[in-house]
Amino acid sequence: MLAAPTPTSPSQKVIVGIAEMAVSSNPAVILTTYSLGSCLGIAIYDPVVRAGGLLHIMLPDSSINSAKAVKQPGMFVDTGVPALFRAAYQLRAEKHRMIICVAGGAQIMDSGGFFNIGTRNYEALTKLFAEHDLKIQAEQVGGMVNRTMHLNIATGEVRLKISNQPQEVILCKNSTTT
Amino acid sequence: MQELDDYINKVKSLPPAPRILPELLSLLRQDDVDSDRVVKLIAFDPGITAAVLRLCNSACFAGAAPAGDLHEAVSRLGFKQVYLLVAAVSGSKMLGSAQKGYGIDSGELWEHSVVAAVAAQSIARSCGDDESLAFTATLLHDLGKIVLAEALEHIYGELVESSQSQQTPLIETEKRLLGVQHAEIGGRLLARWNFPENIVSAVWFHHQPAGAQPHEKLAAYVYLGNMVAYFMGYGFGHHAFALRGRAEALSILNLKPECMPGYMIETFEQLQLVQSLVKINT
Repeated sequence: MLAAPTPTSPSQKVIVGIAEMAVSSNPAVILTTYSLGSCLGIAIYDPVVRAGGLLHIMLPDSSINSAKAVKQPGMFVDTGVPALFRAAYQLRAEKHRMIICVAGGAQIMDSGGFFNIGTRNYEALTKLFAEHDLKIQAEQVGGMVNRTMHLNIATGEVRLKISNQPQEVILCKNSTTT
Repeated sequence: MQELDDYINKVKSLPPAPRILPELLSLLRQDDVDSDRVVKLIAFDPGITAAVLRLCNSACFAGAAPAGDLHEAVSRLGFKQVYLLVAAVSGSKMLGSAQKGYGIDSGELWEHSVVAAVAAQSIARSCGDDESLAFTATLLHDLGKIVLAEALEHIYGELVESSQSQQTPLIETEKRLLGVQHAEIGGRLLARWNFPENIVSAVWFHHQPAGAQPHEKLAAYVYLGNMVAYFMGYGFGHHAFALRGRAEALSILNLKPECMPGYMIETFEQLQLVQSLVKINT
């Protein structure tokens, strides 16, 4: 059995920018994406091979700019999510074991729905997941706050830093025990 | 008006008035811009001159040969770009500090302002309007937060609680608790600094653009630029998204809601420019 990383081992923070994604199976790595706004952070993790990835999508649908989607698939739900899963499969992660966490999608007070990018992002994501029979394990979506998301590759733990709260919160705890 | 002035006068650390910005803006309005006058005006402030030259020679703007003085900078980049750099340097002096009353860390308000300004500039350009004006008004739209941050610090808890439990926009909570709100304070301060009426009005009404008549188009650019910045995660503070959706901002400009994703992508394309402007004061 693999030894768990010792607490003294320095963690390696990998920043996932807006419209970007990253995968890793290195237990020293913590994937972080900052300030999601109406964007969505999508973390996936396979607790058996201890590999996972994080994606920071900005918009629901790549049909608005398909050239952009080729260059930067992480910008859109419909191109980013498949790219994230494919990259995780390269690390021997498997779809049926994947634990999925979602955060972001903040919304302003907009009863008319004229500025509902956050809501539309989430709707596009849940529709895509339903089509592929994927379930979200934990989520914190919507509301009027900004969120920063961390995925710990050693444990699968997903943490959030929320703009109106001083402490980080755990969105999904130690997935390796499930 | 007196109430706004009272608040402004109370602030201990008011940022310095950006003397050359309003004048430069009016120079730029002229059909035949006199290069010498522009250079003389900028050279009036050695700090800004140095910062503009540094930016001009940074990776984001640098051409084959570095610009040694302002004349070279103006002839190489053109007035519009040099103006943008002056606006950014001036803005960073005003907006670079932390705003504890809003839960905003040092640099965050500035970053928000730059992203919003770049977004508003794109929108104004696509509508065939004056992009320098949209950039400036949007860059300065949250100036009033600098003034109110001090006052808010003491009632921070109440403010958070109130906008959370009653689901009211931050600006309405400010008005209720303080009697004034950041948009009107910012507008008033810019008026005292002799900024043109269109910028004053656009900042004053940046949360309700229809009120800015006859400058409602400029106010709508500010509103939408601000919105793009929030969507893209460049909105900060404890209740960043406590804003009201104003469909009028779109109809004033004859835009459809579907255009917003396109403007977000355009702004994303300019994040490198944003980063170089954000770093001005570091």
